[in-house]
Amino acid sequence: MLVSITLPVLLILFWQLITSTGYVSPHILPLPKNVIKIFLSLFSEERLMLHIVISLRRVMSGFLIGIAAGFSFGLLIGLSRTGEKIFAPFFHALRQVPMIGWIPLIVMWFGMSELPRILVIAISAFYPMALNTFTGVRNVPSEYIELASVYGYKRLKLIRRVIIPAALPSIITGITLSLGMSWVILVAAELLIETPVGIGRLISNGRETCNMEQVLVGIITVALLGFIMTMMIEKLAKVVERGRSIHQEL
Amino acid sequence: MSIGKGILEIKNLSKSFIVDNNPLQVLNDINITIPPGNFVSIIGSSGCGKTTLLRIVLGLETNYEGDALIDGEQIEGPGINRGIVFQDHRLLPWLTVGENVAFGLDGKSRKETEVIVDEHLKLVGLNGFKSAYPCQLSGGMAQRAAIARALANKPEILLLDEPLGSLDAMTRMHMQKELERIWLFEKITMILVTHDVEEAIYLGDKVVIMSSRPGVIKKIIDIPFTRPRDRSSYEFMQIKSEILEEFHLGVEHPFIYSI
Repeated sequence: MLVSITLPVLLILFWQLITSTGYVSPHILPLPKNVIKIFLSLFSEERLMLHIVISLRRVMSGFLIGIAAGFSFGLLIGLSRTGEKIFAPFFHALRQVPMIGWIPLIVMWFGMSELPRILVIAISAFYPMALNTFTGVRNVPSEYIELASVYGYKRLKLIRRVIIPAALPSIITGITLSLGMSWVILVAAELLIETPVGIGRLISNGRETCNMEQVLVGIITVALLGFIMTMMIEKLAKVVERGRSIHQEL
Repeated sequence: MSIGKGILEIKNLSKSFIVDNNPLQVLNDINITIPPGNFVSIIGSSGCGKTTLLRIVLGLETNYEGDALIDGEQIEGPGINRGIVFQDHRLLPWLTVGENVAFGLDGKSRKETEVIVDEHLKLVGLNGFKSAYPCQLSGGMAQRAAIARALANKPEILLLDEPLGSLDAMTRMHMQKELERIWLFEKITMILVTHDVEEAIYLGDKVVIMSSRPGVIKKIIDIPFTRPRDRSSYEFMQIKSEILEEFHLGVEHPFIYSI
């Protein structure tokens, strides 16, 4: 824990050092104490909380829809060679297109509403989840499948009891990457699909008014929220992976 | 279990695979009958088709010529009357030892499952390890758990595909004794595929010697010794060198001239 804290502390000290000595202009990089001041004032006005709640809702909705769809799709093309032949080329071509590129089209179809914001996040979360689920399913050792067939496992039981548990580490990687992607796209979605509230909005307001303190508050908030959620997923992963993390022999 | 169940008859069995569009004969005219409760060791150099033979008996290979019958019925797929222990223990790493042993049990209540798992863990000497995970077990212990899993369904025939092949020499000898003990207790047919001549003689009522390309049965040797067997006895050594001869590995005694 102490080791993990060293880098952030050093970074803040360095920040404090270069700004307080006047080496870097406060217009470019504000003083840490000013950022904290803005943070506290935003927080006490409850505006920050509102931005956070709205953004969290967008991220969570998009992320959950994205991973559910990604998991189903990855499982489908992982299990079926025909499914892979039909969908995989299309999938690999589409996932190369940056999400930002789609935004004009999506806005044209759905207007400036909450739906396209969530949709954009969901699509971004979909790709890493689908890809990692697919890889996980394909890399299930054939020995495990042979074992299941020795005991007469039917398809559904095989998927539920062998394939999904065996692919779980890869699936969890997919979830983690999708979550990261959701946060990345959130800010872009809030900037490009105009919205009065959200952390992305907070950042772009800060930019428009040359308020770098506010920009930094937004950045730090996203980083912290993303970090907390990743931590939660890692905890969850530890629980579901149980025995696999134990390596010592008795 | 009724006595007389689990008779395996293999008649004129041949099997070939298609490799690069050419048929490759793996097994050629295999004939063997294994009475219930027998222990048969199959030995042969690699590529002699012994694993294919096991897969046919197991029901994983169904496309063959000739007959493979259990209790008079053609083998058409896997079934719970046959169990297998692979060379790799193949325990699922996300399940506990107890859950692994219960892997093949189907349609049993929770209570019945518990009883069967406990009983078989005790049989293989793993009581107390029920909630351990496979990665916490040594190689020998993992193989014991795999044996428990294979026996949990009460198979009539247990197939052993080089089950001790990856264990160190001392553990292997110990596990051979354990296998014998389990076989004497369960009174089921066991078919062991092995590379180890001593292991084949130590455990088998019969030793089947196969040769490769295509796989044929070269010789079947009866092992008449009482159990437990003494690996260092004269008769044991005799049979061992007789088998090694078959693989052209016998010791060539030089002529000694003396005047």
